[in-house]
Amino acid sequence: MKSLDRRTVLKGVLGGAAVSIALPPLEAMMNGNGTAYAGGTAFPKRFGVYFWGNGVLPERWTPAGEGATWTPSPILMPLAALREHLTVVSGTRVATLNTRPHGSGPAGLLSGDNMTGEGFSRASIDQIIAGTIGGETRFRSLETGVQRSDESLSYAGPMQRNPTESDPHALFNRLFGEGFRAPGEMGMADPRVGLRRSVLDAVTAQGGRLRSRLGATDRQRLDEHLTAVRGIERQLQRLEENPPNLAACRRPEAPPAEVPDLLGRPDMPRRARLMADLLAMALACDLTRVFFHMYSQSVNNTLFGTAPAGHHQLTHDEPGDQPTVFSILQLIMGDLATFLTALRGVTEGDGTLLDHTLVLCTTDCSLGRTHALDEYPIVLAGGASAGMRRNLHLRARGENASKVSFSILQMMGVRATEFGVGPGRVTEGLGGLVA
Amino acid sequence: MRSLTASMLLWVALAGCEGVTPPTPVDAAAPDDVPVAPYVPQAAALRRLTQSQYANTVHDLFGDAVVVPRALEPDTSREGSRAIGASEASLSPRGAEQYQDAAYAIAEQVLRDATRRAANVSCTPTGPDDAACAATVVRALGRRAWRRPLTDDEVNALVAVAMRAATTLTDFHRGLEYALATMLQAPDFLYRVELGADAMAGERRFAGYELASRLSYFLWDGPPDDALLDAARDGALDTEAGLAREVDRMLAAPKARRGLRAFVTDWLQLANLDALSKDATVFPSFSADLGASAREEVLRNAEAFTFDAEGDFRDFFTTRETFVNRRLAALYGVQFPLRDAPVTDFVRVTLPTSVPRRGFLGSVAFLALEAHPVSTSPTLRGKFVRQQLLCYAIPAPPVNVNTAIPEPSPSLRTLRQRLERHMSERSCRSCHITLDPVGLSFERFDGIGRFRLDDNGAALDLSGNLDGRAYSDEMQLYAALHDHPLLPECVVQRLYRHAWANVETGDQRAEIVRLRTSFAASGYRLRTLLRDIVTGPAFRRARAPEATDGGAP
Repeated sequence: MKSLDRRTVLKGVLGGAAVSIALPPLEAMMNGNGTAYAGGTAFPKRFGVYFWGNGVLPERWTPAGEGATWTPSPILMPLAALREHLTVVSGTRVATLNTRPHGSGPAGLLSGDNMTGEGFSRASIDQIIAGTIGGETRFRSLETGVQRSDESLSYAGPMQRNPTESDPHALFNRLFGEGFRAPGEMGMADPRVGLRRSVLDAVTAQGGRLRSRLGATDRQRLDEHLTAVRGIERQLQRLEENPPNLAACRRPEAPPAEVPDLLGRPDMPRRARLMADLLAMALACDLTRVFFHMYSQSVNNTLFGTAPAGHHQLTHDEPGDQPTVFSILQLIMGDLATFLTALRGVTEGDGTLLDHTLVLCTTDCSLGRTHALDEYPIVLAGGASAGMRRNLHLRARGENASKVSFSILQMMGVRATEFGVGPGRVTEGLGGLVA
Repeated sequence: MRSLTASMLLWVALAGCEGVTPPTPVDAAAPDDVPVAPYVPQAAALRRLTQSQYANTVHDLFGDAVVVPRALEPDTSREGSRAIGASEASLSPRGAEQYQDAAYAIAEQVLRDATRRAANVSCTPTGPDDAACAATVVRALGRRAWRRPLTDDEVNALVAVAMRAATTLTDFHRGLEYALATMLQAPDFLYRVELGADAMAGERRFAGYELASRLSYFLWDGPPDDALLDAARDGALDTEAGLAREVDRMLAAPKARRGLRAFVTDWLQLANLDALSKDATVFPSFSADLGASAREEVLRNAEAFTFDAEGDFRDFFTTRETFVNRRLAALYGVQFPLRDAPVTDFVRVTLPTSVPRRGFLGSVAFLALEAHPVSTSPTLRGKFVRQQLLCYAIPAPPVNVNTAIPEPSPSLRTLRQRLERHMSERSCRSCHITLDPVGLSFERFDGIGRFRLDDNGAALDLSGNLDGRAYSDEMQLYAALHDHPLLPECVVQRLYRHAWANVETGDQRAEIVRLRTSFAASGYRLRTLLRDIVTGPAFRRARAPEATDGGAP
């Protein structure tokens, strides 16, 4: 068949094949002390949320000691080896109304407002930050997860939620399949890229014909749709460019098509490691600078390890001091350590990817059993290049948790004068957090 | 603001409340002879195709063998309805990528397969740049994909895409792939563009092609076929007789089962069965395909009830008839006649009288989904009955309450005894009094829906009282639910939301009263209810949307 020959000839960027050309050692591209690219461009600052569902056990969560002389709490012990990269913020409260168990907490901390209906009423912090630092990369942001779920707490706006990708294989294909260029591979002029662009132009033009006939609400939804379509154009453009020369970037190994369950239970540690490695490489390759990583969703009833019941059920039903919930929390912190260690394992100049990534680690309430929103669990990790003070237990009893979010916006370079509305609104950050 | 619906306001009012609330604003107890204010329509928003509508649309256009990529923007549920979610949610950037990938994958399958190409390309191109032939193809495809005739401008724009690609790739049909990929990514394909024509007093009226789309996505969960589009073109849908003729044809078509499936999946929350997870050490008979099997059972039963037997909808909760595959047969203790059949093979069976398993509430779908991974949950089961089947509004539990229930002990052997705590604490009791007792009546079925005689070795008390009707076990509860006036009332309300993609308010009470009255008069035939919904004038009316700001994007 004739068309097959043509297809072979054209098998360029859209066909999965890539031409590899050796380039000189990448350190040559750095400046003298390795803190930045040649030409003085600093390593990009990244931000991400790391979220797990069902809260904590506050009495065994809060570290002993304050300031620099702190000791990781029993739940935080799996993170002990990373303590120099961490700041535990304890004692803050989500000040917005607590009307939705497991919902009001993350909505208050991440968007500064309570939920309306079943979703956030404002953009979440990751998307606010993506508005400032997400514009240059192939993906404005990535929403990933460990538990099998497409639920999400990443909101670009009240009714625009970014679904979670929790299948490692699908994430790999999206990031490193067709369309990925590793350093040393050349961008290619594939005529089909131009044709796809003309299709997107035609789609946008057709949207314009419809737009004039719509009411205000639909018009806004259509605009959001067409903005998403324009995001694809940026991805096409990346196909034609030579990829940035990032020393640590390489095409990772493809994860298995399936991560099998163990006796009907999800293999969370293995899933967590696969996703951590992919996400770390996505950041190392500068495919994105913003992520929302949902380890497990709110109210998830995941069967962990050998626990006798699902996580959510245990937080409510397990009597006494909840030893099983405690061990689940340690397991979750262990998987968080896996993730942070993967970031630390990527060298960037004389630092690591973790130094250049600020991670807000949190959950959906403090004590899962009562859905309380005081003593809100917050761990901040990395963030050295963003100016975050680390290796601290910052005790901030009674402070509005929104102040933490405001500080993060400031550290990430978002020009904001406030964060949140109503009781969630603040106009200043949390003292002692920013260097 | 249309998203701030009446039921949300109700919910806000209940947030600090004591107890659950029966459905409002349409009170079933209100006699039908109370004067009802005239129907006032709600605004209709663009509805993005749900995942099932997207797949059905592609299959109806190009054949069932076309593989539709499964990775598409997930549906959003609002107020328990995907229809409402589809009219409110905005697309994510990831969703736009997925629509692009799907569009090219589908376009390739359509234009590189000889049979499909022949079905869609009616002319023989004179060369790659045969614009006239491309226009013919685009016009025909466009009418079906966009559910209306294309304007000349639209045809020209699509032909231009095709010609540029055909010239670049020196292949006419490859060029058409790009035109088709454009069509499949256009909002006119991805959304149901039913805006209505201006009518009197700030109202819009649906007619012609828009009414065809409105009918087909409700009755078929898919696009209009050629006959329906022709009826729209000829104005047949705009006469009562012509509309009735098309509706009857549509309800008689096998595709009507798809429409019913979409509603029942939403109403009974069957999509959650995809993620059904049970502890294999507690339930050795659990298998990964049990959730899908359970869903198929309910959907087949709903189809049979609605279209084959045309039975009383309420019998869906008391019947001994059902459909099982190998998995369900083993769990239900019935003979399965087909040896070594695949799990996709279902047969109709009559459940034995020896086990008190009847109707939907005796199905694995309900009993396993409304339970924990390791145990039953009377609270979840009771909540489902109240909320999904009787349309009660149930507030979230209060905060800062100790929710722990005691462990089993010699004095607290059954779950009923352990849940007494819900009844003894005032803040719990106000809600749980309406939830737990109903759920506890299903305790003879374990967390996976298997029949058992006792709980933890102790005898079970299954008695209770459903809104004034006392019962001694689940069999009598099925009957009490069957006769409950809120049961048909609630399904009418759910179908209203599904059809209009809005939460009803008092302004729509007239339509709900009309529907429930005729539903009762029909002997509770769902097929009749579906017909009444789409043939009534309210289905063709909408409020004009709020004024546009007129601003540029």
